Amino acid sequence: MTNSAIIQFHNVTKQYDQDPPVLDRVSFEIERGKFYTLLGPSGCGKTTILRLIAGFTEATSGDIYFNGKKINHIPANKRQVNTVFQDYALFPHLNVFENVAFGLRIKKMKKSEIAAKVKEALSFVNLSGYEDREIKEMSGGQRQRVAIARAIVNEPEVILLDEPLSALDLKLRYQMQYELRELQRRLGITFIFVTHDQEEALAMSDEIFVINKGRIQQSGTPNDIYDEPINRFVADFIGESNIVKATMIEDFLVSFGGGNFECVDQGMNPNEPVEVVIRPEDLQITSFEDGMLQIEVHSQLFRGVHYEITGLDQEGNEWLVQSTKKATVGDKIGLQFEPEAIHVMRFNETEEDFDRRLDSYSEGVADGK
Amino acid sequence: MENKGTRNLYMIPYALWIILFVIAPIFLVLYYSFFDIEGNFSLVNYKNFFTPVYLQMTLSSFWYAFLITAISLLVAYPTAYLLTRTKHKQLWLLLIIVPSWINLLLKAYAFIGIFGAYGAANNFLEWIGIGSRQLLFTDFSFVFVSVYIFIPFMILPIFNALDNLNPSLLYAAKDLGASGWTTFRRVIFPLTIDGVKSGIQVVFIPALSLFMLTRLIAGNRVITLGTAIEQHFLVTQDWGMGSTIAVFLILIMFLFMGLTGFRKRGA
Ligand SMILES: Nc1ncnc2c1ncn2[C@@H]1O[C@H](COP(=O)(O)OP(=O)(O)O)[C@@H](O)[C@H]1O
Ligand SMILES: [Mg+2]
Repeated sequence: MTNSAIIQFHNVTKQYDQDPPVLDRVSFEIERGKFYTLLGPSGCGKTTILRLIAGFTEATSGDIYFNGKKINHIPANKRQVNTVFQDYALFPHLNVFENVAFGLRIKKMKKSEIAAKVKEALSFVNLSGYEDREIKEMSGGQRQRVAIARAIVNEPEVILLDEPLSALDLKLRYQMQYELRELQRRLGITFIFVTHDQEEALAMSDEIFVINKGRIQQSGTPNDIYDEPINRFVADFIGESNIVKATMIEDFLVSFGGGNFECVDQGMNPNEPVEVVIRPEDLQITSFEDGMLQIEVHSQLFRGVHYEITGLDQEGNEWLVQSTKKATVGDKIGLQFEPEAIHVMRFNETEEDFDRRLDSYSEGVADGK
Repeated sequence: MENKGTRNLYMIPYALWIILFVIAPIFLVLYYSFFDIEGNFSLVNYKNFFTPVYLQMTLSSFWYAFLITAISLLVAYPTAYLLTRTKHKQLWLLLIIVPSWINLLLKAYAFIGIFGAYGAANNFLEWIGIGSRQLLFTDFSFVFVSVYIFIPFMILPIFNALDNLNPSLLYAAKDLGASGWTTFRRVIFPLTIDGVKSGIQVVFIPALSLFMLTRLIAGNRVITLGTAIEQHFLVTQDWGMGSTIAVFLILIMFLFMGLTGFRKRGA
C-alpha cells in the first residue's frame, strides 16, 4: 500500500445472476494525480469498474478502498468522486448554469460562492458566457464540456470519464483529447478515463489498464504496453502488429519464419514454443538476397506517409510492413530488423512473471552476462 | 402542390367530425343558453347562474373535483413509479388499465353491492370489530369510487413520463451528492411534471362534470354542475339554464387547460 494510492481494488469480482463474472478478481491501484485509462473492447467490463468506483453498483466479492478506507457499502452520493457520463446525462430541465451548480446547491453553498465557482468551472472548459443557455441549444462538443464542468466544479479527488469522446466527430475528438489532458494537468486531479480506442489511450494516458473479458491483461505506461505487450491480445489490440508462432531455441536466440534470429529476450526454457511480435514500422525492406526473412508481396496500399505492404513468408506467416519504399505485388523481397525489434511473448504468463522477467534483462545486462 | 392537395383531402373526415360533433354542439349550447324556460330570448339564465344556489354548486363541484384529483395523484404517482421498477411493467400497466374498459355504470353497480348495508365492505368492518355503518350515499364512497374510476387515467401519463426518464440522469444526481429525496424533488418530479399535468387534466375536467355517480353512489347528496345540467335537461326541462351551466363548464375547462398547459422553462 503506497500512500499515494487513492483507489485500490482488491480481488474485486462482479457477477450478475448465474452469468460468468463481468469482472473476475480484479486488483489494481490508482495513484493520486495521474491520468489513467481503462482500455478494452466493448463489453469487457470498463463501465462496470467505473460504476463500482462511483458507487452505482456493489461488488459481488472483493474490497474497494478509497484513501485507504474500505468503501464497498458507501452510497454514491457520499463519495468524493464525480462522473462524466457517456451520454453526458445533463439535466434537460436546467440551463447550463444550473447544471453545473447542481452539486454545489446540494452542498448548500452560498449563492455568491456558487456563482463564482460555476463561472470558474465554465471558463476552465472554455464555455464562459454560456451560463443562460438551455442544454438543447448546445452542440455535442459543448454538452461534453458542460458535463466536464459539472464534474470538476465539485473539486472531487477523482473524476471518472466513461467514453466521453465517443460521440464526437473525429476532429473535435482530437481537439478534446488535448484539452482533457491539459485540463487534468492544470487541475492535478486523478482522471480515470474509459475508452475502447487504443490510439486515444496511447495519446492521453500516464497509465493504461488493458482489459479483456473482465480481467486486467496488462497495466503500464503507453510505451511499455506498446513496446512490450504481454500477450497476443494486448499486442493485437494496441497498434498494428505482426504476431507469429516461434520457438525460443535458447537465451537470445529465437526461431520463426524459417530462420534463427538474435533477440534480447531470455529466461525461458530451451525450445519453448512462444509468440513473437514485430511492429510493422520496425521492418525494413531490402533486396531478396540481403533479407533476414523473405516474403512474397501480395498487396500494397499507399497511405500517404508510407506504403503498407503485406506478404507471406515461406512458413505461410503473414507480414505487414510499413515502408517509405515501394514494392511490386508478386515480387519476392527481403525484410530486415534489429534484435531489439523482436518481442517474445510466453503463453499464459502472468503479469507478475512477465514484469519480473523483463526486469531481469536490465540486471542481466548490468552483470555483463 | 399535389401533395398539399391530398393532405387536405385526408383532413376532410376529421374536419367534418369536429364540425358536426364538437363545434356545432358548442354553438347549440351557446344558442340555447339565451332562452328562458318559456322560450323567450333573455339573459336571465346568466343572471341566475350568479345566485348563491349555483355558485354554491360550482364551488362544491370544484371541491369534489379537487379532492378526487388530489387523491388520484397521491395514489397514482407512487404506483406509476413502482410500475416502472417492476420486471414486467407493461403487463402490470395493462392490468391497471383494463378496468377502465369496463362500463362506468357496471362499475357503479358493483360498488353499490360492495358498499351496501350487507355488502363486502360492511362484512369486513363487522369482522374486524368496527361494526357495520352507512357507507353508500356518503361523501366518502363518492370520492372513493370516483378515485377508483379515474386512477388509470392518472397513472398512464405519469407512467409514460417516468418511463421516458433517462436513468443515467438519476445516477448523475446521485453522483453529484443528491439523496433519494433530493433526486426526486430536483430531477424526477420536474422532468415528469408534464405527465402530472396531463393526468390532472384528464381527471379534473371530467370530475367537474360527473353526474351518474353522484346519483348512484352519493345518492344525490352531492350536487355538482354535471348533476345540475342533467336535472335541467331531463327533469325540469329548463334547457336554457342547463345550457348556461354547460357554457360555464366549458369556459372553466378552457381556463383550466390554459393554466395547466403552460410550460415552465429554465430553473
Ligand atoms: N445490469 C446488468 N445485468 C447483467 N449484465 C450486465 C449488467 N450490466 C452490465 N452487464 C454485462 O457486463 C458486461 C460488461 O459491461 P460493461 O462494463 O458495460 O462493459 P464495457 O463498458 O467495457 O463495454 C457486459 O457483458 C454486460 O452485458
Ligand atoms: Mg461501457
